[in-house]
Amino acid sequence: MSLFLDVVTSSAVLFIVATGLLTIFGVLKIINFAHGAWLTVGGYCAVATTQTGLSPWLALPVAFVVGGVLGILTERFIVRPLYARPLDAILATWGLGIVIGQLITLIFGRDVQFTPSLIPGTVDVFGTAYSAYRLFALLAAVVLGLGFAFLMEGTRLGLSARAVIMNETLARILGLDTAKIRTVTFMIGTGLAGLAGVLLTPLTSVDPNMGVAWLVGSFMLVMVAGESFGTLAVACLLLGGAQVVVSTYVSPILGGITIAVLAALILRLSPKGFSRA
Amino acid sequence: MNVLMNAKILSVLAATLLAGTAQAADPIKIGVPVGLSGANSVVAPSVVQAAELAVEEINAEGGVLGRPLKLVVADDGSGAVGAQKAFDALVFRDEVDVLISMETSAARNAGLPIVQRGRIPYIYTSFYEGRSCSPFLYVDAWVPEQQVPPVVDYLKAEGAKTYFLIGSDYAFGRGMLDFAESYIKETGGEVVGEEYLPMDGTDWTAIISQLKSSGADALITSTAGGAPNVTLTKQLRGAGVTIPYANLAVDEGTAKSMGADAEGILISASYITGIDSDENKSFLKAMNDKFGGDLRTPNDLSVPQYEGVYLYKEAVEKAGSTDPRAVLKALGEVSFTGPRGTIEMSKQHHAPLTMYLGQVQADGSVKVVESFPNVDPGEQCPDL
Repeated sequence: MSLFLDVVTSSAVLFIVATGLLTIFGVLKIINFAHGAWLTVGGYCAVATTQTGLSPWLALPVAFVVGGVLGILTERFIVRPLYARPLDAILATWGLGIVIGQLITLIFGRDVQFTPSLIPGTVDVFGTAYSAYRLFALLAAVVLGLGFAFLMEGTRLGLSARAVIMNETLARILGLDTAKIRTVTFMIGTGLAGLAGVLLTPLTSVDPNMGVAWLVGSFMLVMVAGESFGTLAVACLLLGGAQVVVSTYVSPILGGITIAVLAALILRLSPKGFSRA
Repeated sequence: MNVLMNAKILSVLAATLLAGTAQAADPIKIGVPVGLSGANSVVAPSVVQAAELAVEEINAEGGVLGRPLKLVVADDGSGAVGAQKAFDALVFRDEVDVLISMETSAARNAGLPIVQRGRIPYIYTSFYEGRSCSPFLYVDAWVPEQQVPPVVDYLKAEGAKTYFLIGSDYAFGRGMLDFAESYIKETGGEVVGEEYLPMDGTDWTAIISQLKSSGADALITSTAGGAPNVTLTKQLRGAGVTIPYANLAVDEGTAKSMGADAEGILISASYITGIDSDENKSFLKAMNDKFGGDLRTPNDLSVPQYEGVYLYKEAVEKAGSTDPRAVLKALGEVSFTGPRGTIEMSKQHHAPLTMYLGQVQADGSVKVVESFPNVDPGEQCPDL
C-alpha cells in the first residue's frame, strides 16, 4: 500500500514541477533552462510571505504572480529575439538561471531558509499512516492537470495556443496576435513554476540552488512527454514510479538516475517519446 | 606616473631602512584558507569571526612574544582545486607562519602536500572522518570515535535495540555511518537498514518507507550539511516518523531554525552554545560585543578555530620563537582552556574532548542532555 502511495505521490510531485516547463516547451518550442531558478523564486516567495507573517497559503498566488511578471519581462527582453535560435535560447535561459540564483543569494544569503509545512502530520489511508502533505500534492497535481486541460480545450486562449503549436504562420495570417500568445504562454509557464516552487517547500529546503536539483528530472520528463499534459502525466507515472520501485527494491542511489536512464532509452526507441504528434 | 613610482621607491627604501628597528614588531602571520564560496560558505563566516576575535584579544594583551598576530584569509572554494591555489598563495607568497583553518576534507587533502613542502605547522579545526596524519598537521576537533559513541550509548540506554542508518553518499556521510554501524554491533545492537541518497538527491520517499516498514527503534542520520539535512528531516516529519532520531550532521544553528520539525533531534558535538562555563559565557559575550548584529552564531566549527589560534600562541610562547620545528613539537604539549574546556592536542596530534549530547527543544534551543568528559580520539595516527 505504501509503495502504491509512494508511486502516485512521487509522480504527482514530478508532474507539478514539470508543468511549467512543458507549457513553455509545448507552445514556444523553447526549453526554458531557467526553470530551476523559477522554482527557487517560488520557494523564496514562500519564505518572504511567511516572514511578513502572512498565511503560508498566500504564497501560492504570490508566487504565481511574481513568477508570471518576471516571465513577461524575460520573454520580452531575453527570449523573444531567440525564437528562431532554440539552442541559443537554452544558453540564454541557462545564464538567466545563474543570474537569478546569484540575485537570490545577494538578497537572502546563501543559508538554508525555512518555511512552515502547509499541512503537517499524517492521514490514515487503509491502515497506513501516510504524509498528509503528499496526498495534498496528489490532489494539487490533479487540479493542475484538469485546470490545464480546461484551459487548452475549453478557452479561446487554449484554442489560439493550439493554433500556434500546429502552424504558427497560418495562425498569424488568420489574424491571431501570435506575439501576445507567446508572452501569455511564457507568463503562465513561469507562473506555474513559481507555484510549483511553493508546493515543493514542505518537501525540501529552500536555498539558492533548490530548483536545480529538479531541473534535470523535469527536463527529461518533458522530452519524453512531448507537448501534451496527458502524456506528461503518463511519463511522470511511469518514470516516477520506476524511480520509486528501483529506490525501494534495488538502491536509492540507482533510483536517483532511473528517470534519466529510462528517458534516454525511451527517446532512443521512439524519438518523439510518448507524443504521437 | 613618475611621481607615483618615486613614491613607491621611497617607501620601499624607507621600509628597508626601518626594517632593522621594526623587526621586533613584525606581525606573526596566520593563514586561514577557508571555504568562503561553495559548500562551506554558510559556515565559513562564523569561522573567520572566531579567528578575528582570538587575534584581537591576543593583540590587546600585547601579542605573542611581543609581536602582533595578523590574519591572512584566503578563499579555498570548499574544494581541492581552490585549496591548492589558496594554500600555495598563503605558504609561498604571503609566507605565513602557520595555517589554522576549518575546511572540507577534499580541501585539506589537497593542501597537505603544499604544507609539507612549505614545512610550516597546520592546525586543522574542523571535525572530520579521521586518520589524516602528517608531522605538520594537528587537529583540535572531533573524529567519529568521539562523536558517535555518546549517541549510540544514549539511544541504547533509552532501550533501542535496532537501528536504521540514513546518509548522503559521500566520504564523510559513509565514514560516519560505517563507524556507527561497527560501534552498534560491538555494543550488542542491530542495524536493520542502511541507505544512502546522492548528495544532490531530494526525494527520500522510498528510504523513509523502508525505514517505517523496518520497525527500527532508532534512527541515525549523517547527510551533507544544509539542504539534504533539512529535506530529509522535513520529509521524515511529514511521514510521521517519531522514533528517537540522532542527527550526526546537523549543527545547532540549522536545528534551531528548523523549528518544530527539529524538536527531539539528538545532536552530538564538542561545542554547544549552552555550555555552562565561565570561559564559554565570556567568549559568547566578547563575540556579541565585537560583531553585534553581524554575529554568526558560534558553533562546533568556529569555536575550535578560536581555540586553535590560542593553542598556536601557547606553542609559540613555549617554543620561544615561531621556528616551525620547535612550534610543531610544542603544539602537542601545550593546552588552552577555552569555551569547550581544556584542549590539548596530545594524542597522536589529535585532542581528547568533552562531548555533549544535546536535544533540540520545542522552542529551538538545544538542551545538554548529557556530557561525556575527555572522550579519547582513539588510534588516529599511531606513527606520530
